[in-house]
Amino acid sequence: SSHEHKINFRKSKEACLSYIQDALLQKQWKRAAEFLTCYVESLEKDYSREHIGPSEMIWRIGTEILWHHSQSSMKEFNCFMEQMKTLGVKRYLKVCLEHVFHLLCNGQIDEAYQNLSLAESWRFGEQTAIQDKEMKLIEAYRGLLDYCSWSKQKSILLEHGEDGFSDLAVEQEMHRYFRKAAVNLKEIIKIPGVWDVFVKCYVDLLEFYGDHNEARQVLNEYAYNSKFPANPNAHVYLYQFLKRQGESKKSLISALKILHDIVPSHELMIDFNTMLQKSKKRKKRRLGLEVIFAALDYAGWKENVKAWSCLARQVKQIVTSEKYVDWIKQEWNSRKDWWPAFHFSRYLAKRNWQENKSLSYEKALVAGIVLGKDCKYFKYVSHQGCKAQLKRFRMLKKFVNRHNPVYLRISG
Amino acid sequence: MEFPAALFPSYFGAGPPQEEGRPSPVAGWGEHGQVLEGGPGRRQAQPAFVPRRGATGEKWEAADAAAVPVLLPSAGCWIPSPAPQDILYRGGLCKKLRPGKSGATLDFARQLGHFFVDHPEDAFGSLGQLLHKNFYLGNSKLKVALSRNSTIRMTALVEDIDRLEARRGCPRQHLASRLRWFSHLCRDWLFEVPLGLLADCLHEELMQQWSNLLFDDSLTGGALAWLPPEDGGTPVGRLVHPGGQAMNHLYFQDVVLEELPRARGSPAQFELSGRIRQVAAARVDGEDFVGVRSDYHCGVWRVPGRTGAAPTPLQVIRTDVPASCLTVSPHLAGELSVCTQSGTVYLWSVEAGLQQVRHDPQTMFFRDHSAWRWSDFTAHPRVLSCADRTGLQCLDARAPKKCHFDLFKVGEEAGCQQGERVVLPMYLGRAHPSQYLVTTQFSVYVLDERLPLVPVLKWAHMMKAPPLFSHLMPGNPGRSHQVLLGASRTQELLLLQYRASFWGVSSGGSQSACQLAGTPQKLQSIVGCLQHLPTQLPHRQRLLQQRLEAPAAGLAATLQEDGPHKSMLVFQLSEAGDVFCQRLTHKAAQPPAPPSRDEATIAPGSSPLFEAPASSPQGLGAAALRYRRWLRALSRACRELPRHTWHPSLSQRRLFTRRDLEGPAGPSSLQRQMRQRLRQAMQEGGRIQHWEPLAIQPPPLPQTLEPAGGPDPLSARLTAAWAGDWEQWWEERTSFSVAQRQRALRERRRRQKRARGRRSLSASFTSSLTYQSELSELSDAGPLLLSPGHPTILSQEGSPPAGSPAVRSPPTSPAPDEALLSSQSLRCRGIPKERRKTLRDYLSIWAEGPPEPPEPPGSQASQLCIPSSQSQLSSASQPRRKRPRMGF
Repeated sequence: SSHEHKINFRKSKEACLSYIQDALLQKQWKRAAEFLTCYVESLEKDYSREHIGPSEMIWRIGTEILWHHSQSSMKEFNCFMEQMKTLGVKRYLKVCLEHVFHLLCNGQIDEAYQNLSLAESWRFGEQTAIQDKEMKLIEAYRGLLDYCSWSKQKSILLEHGEDGFSDLAVEQEMHRYFRKAAVNLKEIIKIPGVWDVFVKCYVDLLEFYGDHNEARQVLNEYAYNSKFPANPNAHVYLYQFLKRQGESKKSLISALKILHDIVPSHELMIDFNTMLQKSKKRKKRRLGLEVIFAALDYAGWKENVKAWSCLARQVKQIVTSEKYVDWIKQEWNSRKDWWPAFHFSRYLAKRNWQENKSLSYEKALVAGIVLGKDCKYFKYVSHQGCKAQLKRFRMLKKFVNRHNPVYLRISG
Repeated sequence: MEFPAALFPSYFGAGPPQEEGRPSPVAGWGEHGQVLEGGPGRRQAQPAFVPRRGATGEKWEAADAAAVPVLLPSAGCWIPSPAPQDILYRGGLCKKLRPGKSGATLDFARQLGHFFVDHPEDAFGSLGQLLHKNFYLGNSKLKVALSRNSTIRMTALVEDIDRLEARRGCPRQHLASRLRWFSHLCRDWLFEVPLGLLADCLHEELMQQWSNLLFDDSLTGGALAWLPPEDGGTPVGRLVHPGGQAMNHLYFQDVVLEELPRARGSPAQFELSGRIRQVAAARVDGEDFVGVRSDYHCGVWRVPGRTGAAPTPLQVIRTDVPASCLTVSPHLAGELSVCTQSGTVYLWSVEAGLQQVRHDPQTMFFRDHSAWRWSDFTAHPRVLSCADRTGLQCLDARAPKKCHFDLFKVGEEAGCQQGERVVLPMYLGRAHPSQYLVTTQFSVYVLDERLPLVPVLKWAHMMKAPPLFSHLMPGNPGRSHQVLLGASRTQELLLLQYRASFWGVSSGGSQSACQLAGTPQKLQSIVGCLQHLPTQLPHRQRLLQQRLEAPAAGLAATLQEDGPHKSMLVFQLSEAGDVFCQRLTHKAAQPPAPPSRDEATIAPGSSPLFEAPASSPQGLGAAALRYRRWLRALSRACRELPRHTWHPSLSQRRLFTRRDLEGPAGPSSLQRQMRQRLRQAMQEGGRIQHWEPLAIQPPPLPQTLEPAGGPDPLSARLTAAWAGDWEQWWEERTSFSVAQRQRALRERRRRQKRARGRRSLSASFTSSLTYQSELSELSDAGPLLLSPGHPTILSQEGSPPAGSPAVRSPPTSPAPDEALLSSQSLRCRGIPKERRKTLRDYLSIWAEGPPEPPEPPGSQASQLCIPSSQSQLSSASQPRRKRPRMGF
């Protein structure tokens, strides 16, 4: 009966699919391709009302095989993709997008651009929410490619400009690209998401044409709109923009303060600390100490010489001036139960000494101040340093010994 | 570690997941996801783009055709955990319900029955002692007059139960009314444990077992750990794994990394008080800390880095609620995090003790019934991540109420599917200090805690069962990291590669976004070796298969670099306690090579594993030798295996009467001849090739016993069944028997009317007797009335044609029995009419059974379960015996 036939057909279809899956997972591309040719039959008798029909499966599997098959060529791939586009209306945009990605990764920028333009003009009935998103992405990527052309024209123009010869046609072409890119890029960055590439390009365009207000607004929106994810890059871009604009220290610090609040382990915290240490205001220097302590809490900073030297410098400064030792005490209080094991163990002393002498120097200084001259880390490193007759380490030992009362104040 | 200068573009939404339906079985293929401008060549004329997925990865190839056992099977045999058929109802009506569907029917009654059989003392201890004198289990008639009044024969009841069991699942099953009466009477007082309570507990346990069968999350994390050798030391690492019959022994086994890893020396062994669910390990300051979780206990061991140093147990904690997670801090020595199913998360420090970080029995982002909780460490040693099925949150242990943020949410933020749930989170600190792996049943996500909620990588893993185990092997800077995912039930193993950074020239050499590299690769599972093993005897094969198919219980792996050769060793632990290992060798990137060995499919049986390499003098490879030894040890270990599985047995007593089975008085001449020939052949050591010359003529066919009325019921039924309308036949048959019974009833009434004058009053009074006495009377009367079987009554009394008693019954006349059971004869024996039917039912059971020889008086006591020393007690309770009737 037809029902039975359907069931049998479904069964063999599933079996075939599992063979394909097996072959793909074992990188047997040829075998997978052979099975796929059989699986194509399932298109003819597509009884399924499943969420994902066989056409999508064929698209996915076929693409994967063509990526890896030793005998596939770009031409074949393009041909396959064109067929897949016509196979499912709902997936047209998705397939287009993936096709473009593949072209881009293979350096076929012009073909990719053509495909994007084609896809952009595609219309079919009412768009679903997903299709809407895909369409926006297609436009955005076209904007990105326009931007690439723009920057190419720009570099040509700049080169020519150096020769003292300006080409009106090139300039016009460049402006044309600018307009096309700006329109599309502007659209996508309004929607909540992670649009680092698009924002960077758009801001670059705006800056080139001197529209700094618009650029600032875009960056502010990208960084501070609560509908967007807490993307550290948004704050970094804003900070870099402000720096380029030559903004005041105050506004730079406030931009970095926010970054510090959301990502205390960001690499810009070193710049932030340096900036704060230079400040004349007591409060800012206090914040600087907080920032560097917080950064060193993270496992990723454990062996960062820069950060340790920032901390060592500031600790040394405080200890020498004998003012604000309380700051160190306050910071140390919440860390004294775990920093010794985390940073200043005997094992680490040995390893740091072997691997990076200057790191062990900076760390030994901090350890000597906050844990006293009897702490394992300081003792080991200063001993090794003196044994190796390094002047630096002898000075360090003297310094820590001299300031041992500070340790008593901190620990007390 | 620096933050990537630009991330792959993605949309960001909020709220519950929008995408419906399950992902397609191939959802992970054929997608680049997104592309990002970057990579080398920005300064060239053309911008270069890199894909989120589809970049080239490292090439790993399996060195052997199958995974190879590392350790010999332990002496004690493994006790398999319950299978679906153990707890599912297997009635005919429920055949269509497959396990895994929500409509599965649990076999509640059978389990309750098991309890009564396994724990009779707990179930009926004291009442059994009270009543043992009144229950008689023998077959013979009770003779003593006194006991006849106070004792009932239980044999009939037991047989009824047996019959019920035999007819399990029959759609035409009629409940034996006798059983119903009995249970109705006894239900309230017979059981020691209140039935309702017991049933509740049992039901709860059954549901628990069933949900464990569908998905057992207690294994999350896996119970296998590899402690790598110290840098530059000898290539001897340690495998930490559970073993023993109940998986409650912890072993630290030294393993030498050679071509095939080899166990060295005997392992350090610890016996624990519970089944080991999880073994977690981390190396801090050159020492390994091993955390071990069982349901109610967690322990921590320290293993010094140098080889050969003995592991020392440090501390054990006990929890009231089963613990669901134990992770070891990679930052601080002797710190662990523990979660219990009550929703509590502790930071456990060997020095400082337990610190409660969080307590919330509710799930975090939306309501989910699962009590599973997980926690792990993050880049900040004081910040713990806490997870339940709905997502992950990071808490600062110093101020958990104030300082926390959401790391991952099952929702639109991460582009999840509806119904997606977190299965296993893992801190990827060894590869990248701020990255996290989260697996769900559909996808794997890589998260960066600096950009919470938005996964930096997402990929549909397409595994058939949710991945419960994972293992990270960090690559060198700039290289890809390897992640292994393992599922339990299906033993799937999947190797993924991802790159946390690639050099983006555009961003001045800083880090760039996370990429999935290469294609995912399926590794060999333990059961995959079965096809390569030599064929065994069927029962051995079955045992072997059962053993190899045991769900996976853990996963560990290590990278081994030996000059230019790089290889990966993957260990997989099964619930049976076996540890298997496979080696993958790294192939340097090369231009597309001609199709290599991997394209050739391996046919079962023709395995390279067991083919003799020409070079090997023994004629077999190392892997094959390893298998030989393992198989031998397994068969030795399992020889002592007590039989857990009973083969279904059928009592032939129900099918044939003794007379049927009895042959002619002596062996026939033919049989004698045959025996002689056999004996002769055996003596000569020869064989018998032809029987014919002696079989002179076939024995005459037995006369077909066709009653005059037409074909016998059996052949009629078979004919009907053959024709396909058995159902209709049965309908007719039942209606026929109903009609017949009605006729008999009418007949009886008529006779009774005539006889009423004499006995009506006394008959109505007798009905006030207790049921027990009714039974005992019946039992007493039973053997008296027994006669060599006649099946017609049985089949006509509405019992379904389970057996086929009519097949070979001797063609005796039905008359004597009929007479015996007719109302008249019963009445003559003084049996009141209310009980005649019961009696008839009862006798019908006995109808085909032979009269048993009367039991000698001495054997009667031995048949009773309860020692006779208690008899005084039970006789004292006799007067009370009739009470229960009052309640009805």
